[in-house]
Order: sequence, then C-alpha cells, then structure tokens
Amino acid sequence: MNLYIEGIGFGIIAAASILLGAMGFTLQFGLTNVLNIGYGALMTFGAFSCYLLHVWGVNVWIAVILAGIGTSLLTLLVAKTILTVYVRKGAALFEMAMITFGVALILENTLAAVTRSNTYILNMGLEHAHSIGPIRFTTTQLILVILAVSVFILLDSFLNLTKVGKALRATAVDPDLARASGIATSRIITVAWLMSGFLCGMAGAVFTIDIFTVNAFTGDSLMPLVIVAALMGKAGSVRGAVLASLVLGIVTQVVSIAGASSYDSVVAYGALALALLANPKLLQGGLVAERVQITV
Amino acid sequence: MQDFVSISLVYLGVYALSAWSLNLQFGYAGIINFGWIVFQAVGAYFAAVTSLGPVTSHSYQSYIFGSSLSFPLPLIVGTLAGAVLAAILGFVVLTRKIRSDFVAVIMLVVAIISLQVVVANVSLFNGANGLSGIPQPFNGVMHLSRSGYQWFYVGWMAVICIIVYLGIEWLCRSSWGRSLRAMREDEILATHLGINVQFLRLVVFVIGGGLAAFSGALLVEFLGAWSPDAWSFVETFVVFVAVYIGGRGNNRGAFLGALLVPVIFGVFPSFLPAFGYPGLSSTLQWVVIALLWLVTFYFRPAGILPEGRLIVQRKGMPDVSSMFRRGRQNKEKSMLSEGR
Repeated sequence: MNLYIEGIGFGIIAAASILLGAMGFTLQFGLTNVLNIGYGALMTFGAFSCYLLHVWGVNVWIAVILAGIGTSLLTLLVAKTILTVYVRKGAALFEMAMITFGVALILENTLAAVTRSNTYILNMGLEHAHSIGPIRFTTTQLILVILAVSVFILLDSFLNLTKVGKALRATAVDPDLARASGIATSRIITVAWLMSGFLCGMAGAVFTIDIFTVNAFTGDSLMPLVIVAALMGKAGSVRGAVLASLVLGIVTQVVSIAGASSYDSVVAYGALALALLANPKLLQGGLVAERVQITV
Repeated sequence: MQDFVSISLVYLGVYALSAWSLNLQFGYAGIINFGWIVFQAVGAYFAAVTSLGPVTSHSYQSYIFGSSLSFPLPLIVGTLAGAVLAAILGFVVLTRKIRSDFVAVIMLVVAIISLQVVVANVSLFNGANGLSGIPQPFNGVMHLSRSGYQWFYVGWMAVICIIVYLGIEWLCRSSWGRSLRAMREDEILATHLGINVQFLRLVVFVIGGGLAAFSGALLVEFLGAWSPDAWSFVETFVVFVAVYIGGRGNNRGAFLGALLVPVIFGVFPSFLPAFGYPGLSSTLQWVVIALLWLVTFYFRPAGILPEGRLIVQRKGMPDVSSMFRRGRQNKEKSMLSEGR
C-alpha cells in the first residue's frame, strides 16, 4: 500500500511539468484551433534555454522564468510568420497540424545537428530528501510542485477575474462574435500565443530539472502526455487540463511502481482513448471542437 | 555503384506501394491515418515470423508464431495481418464522428503505443533488437550473386507495382472510386445518394492497410531484417509528404511523390560519402524533407500532379463534357479526366 502512496507522490511531481505544458497547449488550441504538434519542439527550446542559463551561472529558478519568456517570443514568431502564412493560404485543420509537425522537425533536427545529438546533464547538486509519510521528495521537487500550483492559480484567476482573461475566453468560444463585440481579437491571439509559449517554455524547463537531462528530443518524450492531458479536458479549459494532467501523472507513476514501467504511457493513452470513445461530449467539447475555423 | 541503383529501385517500389496505400486512405477517402507506419510494420513482422521457423532453444531471437511457410504465404499472411489490424482500428476509430486532426492524433498515439509495446515485450517480435535472418524468397533455388539477387528483386517489385497500379486505377475509376470521392467531398450528400459512408470508409481503410502491410512484407523479404528503428512514427510523415507533394487523389501523383521524396532525400544521401560528424546527414535529411514540405505546400498546395477534374460522360446522354472543355476537339469518351 505504501508503494502506491509513493507512486501518487511521484505522480504529483511528474504532473507538475505535464500540467504546465497542458495549460499552455489548451490555451493555444482553444483559441486558435490549431493542433500544434510543434509544441514539443518549443518545450525542447525551453528546456535547452534553462540548461544553458544554468550553465552560465544563473539561478535555476530565474532560468526557468527566462526560458519561459524566450519560448514565448519564439512561439509568437513562429505563429505570426509561419502559421499565419498558411492559414491565409487556406490550409485546413489537418494540414495545419502537418505544418506544425514540419516546423517541429526543422527546429528539433537543427538543434540536434548543432548539438551533435548529445545529451547534457543539468546538475542540481546533491539534495536533501524530505518525507511526508511514505512520500519522499527533494527540495527541488517540492519547489517544482509549488511553482506549478501557483502558476495554475495565477492563470485561473487571470482568466476568470481580469478583462483580458474574459476577452480570451470569449475569443475561444466564438471569435467572430468576440470581434463584433469590440474585442481586438488579433491582439488577444497575440496574448494567447505569448502566454501559452511562456507556459510551454516553463514546462520544458521544469521537465528538464525533474529528469536532470536534456537533448534535442526532450520535448518529444513529454509532448504526447501533454497533448493527451490537454485533449482530455475540454479544449480551452485550463482546469480540465490540470485535472487530466494530475490523473495522467499519477496513473503513469503508479503503473510504473506496480512493475510494468514500460507500459506506463500505454495505460495513459489507453485511458485517453477510453475517455474519448466512451464520452463523445469530450470530443465535441461544446462549441469549440466543432469549429473548422482557424484563427491565427 | 550498381548496388546503389538496384537498392534505390527496390525502395522506389516499396515507397510507391506505400504512397498508393496512403493515397487510397487519405487522397481518395479523406481518412487521416497518421499512424500509417504501423500497418507497414505489421506486414513486415508477420511475414518475418511466418518464414523464420519456430523458436528453438538455440534461437538468438524470440517471437510469436514461428513457422516456415514457403514463398507466397508469408506475404499473404503479412497482408492479411495489416488488413485485420485496419479493420479493428477502423471499427473503433472511424465509426464515430471525430474531427480530422483528432483522428490524426489518435492514430499517431496508436503508432507510439505500438512502438512501446513491441520494444517492451521481447517475446512478441524480439523487442528493440528486431528480427533478422529472414529468408529471401527464391534465394536458395536460384543461386544468384548478391547483386544479381537485388536486380531480380527489382524486376519482382516492378511486376508487383504494375499489377497493383492497374488494380488501384481500375478500382478508383470505377463507380466505387466515384463513391469514395463523393464521400470525401460531401459526406451528407453522399449519404443521401445512398452511399453507405461508414462501411465504405472502413473498406477503404482495410484495403489501404492491407496494401501498406504488403509493402512492409515485400521490404522485409528484401532486407532480411526488421527492427523498431525502421518504423518510428516520423516515417508516416515522409509518406504523407510524398502524397501531398506528388498530388493527392491520383495515383500517378502518388507515384511521383514516391519518386521525389523518400528516394531522392532518403535513400540517395545514405549512399553519399559522409560529411560533418557521423549522423549529421540523417539529421539534416529531416530538415530538408520538412523544408521541402513547407515550401511545396506554400507554392503548390495541390501537389505537382493535381487530381484532375473528373467528368463522367455516359453514352447516349447529352454531352455535358463540352461545357467543361476549353477549346479542345470534341471527342466521344465514356469517362474524361480534365486537368485544370
């Protein structure tokens, strides 16, 4: 029994990076309706920025924030230059997904070429382990969880309590109506790209701190879980993404501890598949998922 | 030098079959199978385990089944395995109304899961090491040299490709093919016309899956080995790009895509002398393929050989084709396909 409680503890820690990524992805996806498969490449960029800053002597937690800022700028650049171009040309939903896949391939493989596909180690130094009951964790892991939770609380209050947040949610539901109501949707979308890019970069940085290593394909190992978590919650719903990330994190770690570690992702994807197929409403997601329109 | 040509031609044949199978699923029926590579892998694995012979205590690899069937049977078993997998997946995924990019993500996730399951479960298909020592058909009988056998296989692939091309063209030019296009263009209208869209989609998916598995079985019989490295989910992207660039919805376009993308950018560089650090050229290949995709999709979204407008002219009915012709001679044909 203790083993499973430990698994839950590990799961919460793993959920921290999935959570940040899923919140960013669901923001992007909910607002623009583009399934951004290049999200993993952007997370890799965040992870690498954090690693480089740490190596250059910056405090690792400041490096996480800076990595987030850098990734948000890169995301905005990619969105406004590449994605907008193809949407204007009339690309359909799936073609946009393939385009983001192409962008991801270019980003990650250029990085791999530059770094010669090396794996780098993020050295956090020796850490003291604390324990709450059977759950053991280091100070770093505790900070990661607190960071993720605080970001969630900040984001949730931003979306629900501020005017910009309300404008974001309105644009997510119906961009044309939002535009007609006087919301500057192009500016709102820029804000959405910046925010989701920031969360993406933080997710990559946090993931790297959690697993201590980084290479050109780090984002790819985190990305499937992030996309699954974001899609399990309603598209555009941050709370849904958080809940799904928690579930996924805990499920994968508990399955790992129960002995079938190579099947942990399989169980997670299986959970998604079952949830999607059993509850068609999850897929429809209300008004958002039926949209064919892409707003970039 | 000769090897380089014969091996490239064999790969061209395999990629042509792959492009045709994906074109059938995606170009004609509009099903976005982003886990396409799994079907090729299934065909390869099942052809391998049915020709390798049973697992003995001396074997260095472990796998399921293990029989030594003779020549065409492993190919048939491989193809059937792909068709069965397509039937199962299609029944689960395609019979629901799911938006197109979600279908793509689900199929991609299926590919990722399959990779993990095969690597983790060594008793299935020998895990990450893969299978090797797969007997090449007719090798024992003909006693050819290595390059002679490669050229024999080129001829074998050419024969198969011609037969498959004729078969698929016949299918797609028939009324069945027209139903596919109707289903792709306007599903509600097609249903009103009496086309059973669910069933048709499933049938196309199964045929495409079977063809993909067939290509995998042929490839594994040429290579003699198969491992998870050969079927990472990114390979599906290459075939999609081939179909998009060449022109989807028509088989000549798919063949052109098969010629351009995987062979020119995939096979040829691996024969070039190495530059930079080891592994650089294979990393850069992906960048080149992605760039090619982005650029081509920008300038020619329909592909190099776009699907022509299809005009069906029945004998005895008023001549509608003249309405669509622009200054060409009037000819009596039962079916016309006009370019833009």
